[in-house]
Amino acid sequence: MSINDNFPAIRKGLLEFLVLKIVAAEKVYVANILAQLSGTEFATQEGTLYPLLSKMRREELVDYEWKESEAGPPRKYYLLTAKGREQLRETNDYWQKISETVKSLGQVPAENSK
Amino acid sequence: MNKVIIIHLNGIAYQLEEDGYEALRAYLDSASRRLEGNPDRDEIIADIEHSIADKFRGVLSANKTVVMTREVQDVIAEMGPVQDDAPAAAAPGRTASGGPAGPAAGSMPPPPAGGGSAPKRLFRIREGAKIGGVCNGLAAYFGADVTLVRVLFAIVGISFGAGILLYVALMIIVPWAETPADIAAAHGDPSTTDEIIRRAKEGYYAGLRSFRDPANRRQWKKQFKREMRQHRREFRDTMRRNLHDWRQQWHHHWNPDHPAHAGWWVAYPLLGLLSAVVSIVCVASVLSLILTGSIFGILLPFTFPFWLQIVFVILVFRLISWPLKAMRYGYYSNGPYYPHPFAHLLHTVVWLGVLVFGVWLLDRHSPQAHEVLIRCRHEFHEFLAQVRDWWARQ
Repeated sequence: MSINDNFPAIRKGLLEFLVLKIVAAEKVYVANILAQLSGTEFATQEGTLYPLLSKMRREELVDYEWKESEAGPPRKYYLLTAKGREQLRETNDYWQKISETVKSLGQVPAENSK
Repeated sequence: MNKVIIIHLNGIAYQLEEDGYEALRAYLDSASRRLEGNPDRDEIIADIEHSIADKFRGVLSANKTVVMTREVQDVIAEMGPVQDDAPAAAAPGRTASGGPAGPAAGSMPPPPAGGGSAPKRLFRIREGAKIGGVCNGLAAYFGADVTLVRVLFAIVGISFGAGILLYVALMIIVPWAETPADIAAAHGDPSTTDEIIRRAKEGYYAGLRSFRDPANRRQWKKQFKREMRQHRREFRDTMRRNLHDWRQQWHHHWNPDHPAHAGWWVAYPLLGLLSAVVSIVCVASVLSLILTGSIFGILLPFTFPFWLQIVFVILVFRLISWPLKAMRYGYYSNGPYYPHPFAHLLHTVVWLGVLVFGVWLLDRHSPQAHEVLIRCRHEFHEFLAQVRDWWARQ
């Protein structure tokens, strides 16, 4: 079992955070988000992303606007709302705290055992 | 020549091969079912259709106007199963029956096709497969723990060589689950019975709520209960019928009315003893193969993978013991004590006694035999020590 299989819940939980980050940087449509996530541990698919985006829109974290694309029909471009920005900031802080904790825990005993 | 079906996605017409159309419909149906209760269901489905349409445009050109089945499957695979984050969508029963197949199952959509009663199909599943994915597929098909299926297969494989033949046959016949749709079909609904009950209850409570009038409600309740009863009765009847048929076949097979063969009481236990010896030699050979890579010093003359060599050895011993067994069963059903379950146990004990007595006689009265026996004992001890070492190293 690879390490990845151990953390489906973590990856799932973090996906929203990452989508917030991606959307915060620029207006994107779904294929952009997928492209940015592909190749990372968080690679996902439309089948997961659309329901997630619609949930986030319901919670007023993101909004979208229709934009003409150079080829084909118009696309939905997602952008961050004020509430989404707030959420992103909070989640970011929380994430910092978590990763600090992960880094700091277990340091001392590890050195003692040497 | 394939039939082509025209569909509309977001107002644009696409031509799909018929099988591709079915796959797409199954995918969208399943998506729509998984999003049941989601306030944005229609919008999400529209988004998904939109995205599928985008991908279809990618594979079409001026000279190619039909989307092939293969391409539809690829697009569906790329889209991935629709997963709603609402807690209700967290595939009930999956964790309970998942076992080691869990990681494979967790990311896959359980309900594949429309209507909720999609038939399960037997596939070999690559994710988490050990040899050919057969046990994995069977576990998914029967909703059992894959380790349990493997253990069962191993027991059947060792005690009846047929298990191994069966595995190889399944490996050849059963296709790999290539697309998510296949994998979905391999797993079927999360648990068919659970799903039926859940649906029934849903309908039941929805019905209850919609009837304000108590008399109406009572009637609805009664009808629901009647339907459930009938469903249970039909299920029980089917099971009983199957059991009956099976028993009859078994009886027919094993209980022919023949007169007893002469010499039954000699031949039957002797054959039993012989096949026991063959079995012991078989187990010893396999152990020796595992421990030393050769069978008592004899290397197998080909470069099979290790597990295949074990299979080969077992098969060979099965072939040797098969006629013995067949003869023994023939005697068994024709013997005078046939109905008595302990008859053959008794005879085996008697024959073992005779054998031990014979060995004891040889040991006492023939120096050569005595020497051979001593050496055998020594070898046996060494062999046991080897087994113990090997086990300790694991």
